[in-house]
Amino acid sequence: MNNGFASAALISLIYTLLIFLIAWYAHHRKVTGRSIVGNPYIYSLSIAVYCTSWTFYGSVGRAATTGIDFLMIYVGPSLTAFTWFFILRRMVQISKENNITSIADFISLRYGKSLWLGALVTLIAILGIMPYIALQIKAVSTSFYLISGFQGDSFRIPHGSSELTVPSGFILALILSIFSVIFGARRLVSSERHEGLIAAVAFESLIKLVSLLGVGIFITYQLFDGFSDIFTRFQTLNPEKFRQLFTLGASSGSPGAIPPFTMLFLSMGAVMLLPRQFHVMVIENSDERHITKAMWMFPVYLFLINLFVMPIALGGILTTGSSAGADFFVISVPLATGHSGIAMLAFLGGLSAAAGMVIVESVAISTMLLNHIFMPVIVRFTPQAWFPLLLINLKRLGIFLVIFLGYFYYRIVGDSFMLVNMGMISFSAAAQFLPAMLGALYWRRGNRAGAITGILLGFLTWFYTLLIPSFSNSGWISKELLTDGPFGMQLLRPSAMFGLNGMDLWSHSLFWSMLFNISGYLICSILLRQDESEREQVRKFIGAYELERRQHHHTEVKRLSKPVTISQFVSLMTKFIGETEAHRAIESYRGNRDLDADGNVSEFELPNLKRFTEKSLAGSVGAAAAGAIVDSFLSDMGSRMESVYDIFSTVRTSLDQSRESLFVRLKASEIINRTLDLQIIMDDLLTLLLKEFKLDAAIIQLTDEDGTCSVKSYQGSNRHPITDRHWYMESRPYCEAALATCKAQFINDTGLAPAASLERTIAEGFISCAHIPIMREGEPSLGVMSVFSKSISGLFTEEFISLLSSLTGQFAQAVTIVHEIEAREHERVQKEQALLKNARVMRDMEIAQQIQISFLPESPPELFGIEMGGRCMSAAHVGGDYYDFFRRDEQTVDLLIADVSGHSVGAALVMSEVRTLLRAQVSSSHNTSSILQSLNSQLYDDLTRAELFITMFYAKYNATTGRLSYANAGHNHPLIFRNGQSPCIELDAEGLILGVKRSVVFEERSVELLKGDVVLFYTDGLTEATSPDGDMFENGRVCSQLGRVSHLQVHEIIDSFYRAVTEFTGSTTLQDDISIVVLKIL
Amino acid sequence: MISRFRYRLLHRLQLRESWVIFFIMGIIMLNFPFLNIFNKSDAILGIPLLFLYFTVGWAISIFVIYLFTLAIRQSPDTHNGTKEP
Repeated sequence: MNNGFASAALISLIYTLLIFLIAWYAHHRKVTGRSIVGNPYIYSLSIAVYCTSWTFYGSVGRAATTGIDFLMIYVGPSLTAFTWFFILRRMVQISKENNITSIADFISLRYGKSLWLGALVTLIAILGIMPYIALQIKAVSTSFYLISGFQGDSFRIPHGSSELTVPSGFILALILSIFSVIFGARRLVSSERHEGLIAAVAFESLIKLVSLLGVGIFITYQLFDGFSDIFTRFQTLNPEKFRQLFTLGASSGSPGAIPPFTMLFLSMGAVMLLPRQFHVMVIENSDERHITKAMWMFPVYLFLINLFVMPIALGGILTTGSSAGADFFVISVPLATGHSGIAMLAFLGGLSAAAGMVIVESVAISTMLLNHIFMPVIVRFTPQAWFPLLLINLKRLGIFLVIFLGYFYYRIVGDSFMLVNMGMISFSAAAQFLPAMLGALYWRRGNRAGAITGILLGFLTWFYTLLIPSFSNSGWISKELLTDGPFGMQLLRPSAMFGLNGMDLWSHSLFWSMLFNISGYLICSILLRQDESEREQVRKFIGAYELERRQHHHTEVKRLSKPVTISQFVSLMTKFIGETEAHRAIESYRGNRDLDADGNVSEFELPNLKRFTEKSLAGSVGAAAAGAIVDSFLSDMGSRMESVYDIFSTVRTSLDQSRESLFVRLKASEIINRTLDLQIIMDDLLTLLLKEFKLDAAIIQLTDEDGTCSVKSYQGSNRHPITDRHWYMESRPYCEAALATCKAQFINDTGLAPAASLERTIAEGFISCAHIPIMREGEPSLGVMSVFSKSISGLFTEEFISLLSSLTGQFAQAVTIVHEIEAREHERVQKEQALLKNARVMRDMEIAQQIQISFLPESPPELFGIEMGGRCMSAAHVGGDYYDFFRRDEQTVDLLIADVSGHSVGAALVMSEVRTLLRAQVSSSHNTSSILQSLNSQLYDDLTRAELFITMFYAKYNATTGRLSYANAGHNHPLIFRNGQSPCIELDAEGLILGVKRSVVFEERSVELLKGDVVLFYTDGLTEATSPDGDMFENGRVCSQLGRVSHLQVHEIIDSFYRAVTEFTGSTTLQDDISIVVLKIL
Repeated sequence: MISRFRYRLLHRLQLRESWVIFFIMGIIMLNFPFLNIFNKSDAILGIPLLFLYFTVGWAISIFVIYLFTLAIRQSPDTHNGTKEP
């Protein structure tokens, strides 16, 4: 043994110890609750277990022989990363919800938990992975020879007088197996994540990246002068080889060539479907949010690790002179140039690449082996105490089996294949899962028969066209099979099925296996039906799954808003196992866990705590009941039925009670919780009672709002329509007594009941009955539940009555809640209607206002020698103000201003009537008093009916005479401002408000207007405008304001009044409508 | 302006269709009609054309995925915020 061997062995040993240390540390951190593995970076690195010694050695070998197409193996997965957000995320979600342990588990679960499918997937995984493991063993042992300078392929161990010859590959396989057992099969918890394993794998991914980058930089920049230097030198030295390596398809004639598309397709599938990839990506995923990061970090990793492959390959050819042994350039080039340190780094990288892959792969497959091959057999035997020991050892055996199958494959196939081409055989096997997998996620019709047929056909084709030919060089199978086909049938040659010549082995196999696989899957899925168990799984996996997820999301939000606390669990447990026990249990649970101070339970902790609580309860109520209790407790947390659980507080004290009564309580609470429909609750509850207690009739009566009690539900025998002659009516007095006293009334022997009261009941065959009030503790009863028995007299013991009472208590709770909800609903509907009505009214008002405004004249008529103007400002919506101008001829104009009492649509309507009538009047009568008079008599009936009044001032101005004649029907007196006269002249005339008396005589007066006079007509809104102090605007202010602005133009005068009012009231919204009409003599 | 463009870009990337388009585009770029364009033994600045195509194209595709993940982070509804309130 030389020096190189010793140092290589030593370094391997130290490295191994380091890995163990890391794994141990990660495990330790996990136990103390501060996981180092739960982050996206470790997750991405662990996915990089995809890069095995295939990447490390094989890629360089491939790059040096067939050229750049090796990249396809890495570009494919990088492309697949695009789909992870949808596909991988969904796979992770499904796996977490169903506690899935492997890809076999995943596929078999989707297709109705099929045992056969699980076994088939496992079988394919084991056989399919053989070449891949062989590849690793080959790579590591070859690199070991290189680095140690060790010759021959076996160790000779002195054994007594003779020597024992042990092949080094065997030793390597043994070491790897032991390694894997330590990492993955120390204990028997397959659903739990292996944090130590993942930490180790992630570390190894880091090592191989650093190592390959190191070697790459060394060769590219140390031995050569950068990328372009290597490329240019190579091109000048060997232009033909350059062309061959840097173009695709140039080397298609050579035996190992695989078209890029085949490699792309296979690698895209393999990155998700290889058992170890599925394991690290799906099973070991700690948080689905990590996927988002990994989607770009994993491709970056692939990119970096491949960046220097081509330069290393070319550099190797340049250094060694040929592409022979190119698979190990990474080591041989540094060695050849005398840099053994770099070579050692490369060896370490290759070792970690291989070890990581073999460990994860064997652990993943042995889990499948245990769950899908061994378990189905074992569960047929009665469980024994030593079963766990057997199981864990079977799992270990699985690991050995997987690795040694690979070893034997290596021994047989040996050096006849390049590393990459061996790996592609495994990729092809994994690709057989693709149709069933995609179908599982996206195709509802995909069924078990289709999946089994497809996978089986694909597998057989793969086995025949790829695995068998791979043995051809070893002499295990006769060469004739390949050249002449089985039994001389040319059509069935494994490498040219049905005469498909001229394709390489891999594309050929891929084509046929996918063809059979996909068509088998599709045809069987379409032709055959799914059974119920499959359909249930389809719902879980597709479509409805999304929906459920959303609902799930809601409840989670709800729960988070009201976190579950430890004390709630304690009080739940107290009800069943007593306070001291509950506290002791929770203390033991708390012991080594890191819970926050208020005892809030995190989402992560909840499942554990739940399991623990169930376990604790199971001791006293049985496992099934415990599950039901905890489940319904959790689902009702923060929900309407929370207080129902107080009902259970009686359970503890009466644990000696029969299991049945506990069962009935649980069932009853389930029934009550299930729905808000009282009818369903009542029917189900009574049916439950009838069934569980051998009762013969049960009736629930509830009190209506008006206090009468009526039958709401009636189950059991003797069901005649309820009439006054019904036998049940005889029990009325008892029911009323139960209602009134809130105590259960029971008759254990109807024969002994007081005088002749229950004749018909006895005639029906009932011999005992009880009437239990439906009520909550301390509240009046809501109704009565009556139960009747034909078979047992003396049935109604105190215990039984108290059980029934607790049931009616639960039921009363539900009734109260339903009533509350109904009342709230009713109130809501009423409120809604009121709002709706209000909105409708508002809308009507707005329309009325529009109409009203349209009644007012847009602009006053123009008359020589005067200027007129008018405006109305409404306060609320519809006002009753009105003004108008009528021009009779060139000299005469009529002005009027009116105010209808009230602000309503009615006022607006009356106004429109006034307007119509006036238009007709104006043309006929000429003086103002007669206009008002006839208007009054015409409007009287309408106004009385509508209980409205109108005040109106009507004036007529003649420009030639300068006289203003007017009549007034109780309106505010208009004011005249005349220069030089300090108080304004008030225009007043006798007359009653319109609508008070049928016939009224109006006085007509007249006044002569002078040049410069300003007449102001206004409605009471102006004078009655109130300031914040409670003062009114009043005539005095109006007059002085008028004096101040009399020199202005009419519209400015009007403006100034509105300004003055807003200033006075200190508010921009008016208290009442204000209309102003101004007449100015020029 | 740039932030607006960035917002709109990320918004577009939230669409499921965008993912599919880029995925299919990737597959097309890696197959023959496209590969043939670069399948020549020429070299640019001493770097072989096909090698350059793969390296640059790959880097771009990774960047696109990175943009996608940014887009996911932006939108709270498609983001898998199921675990956090």
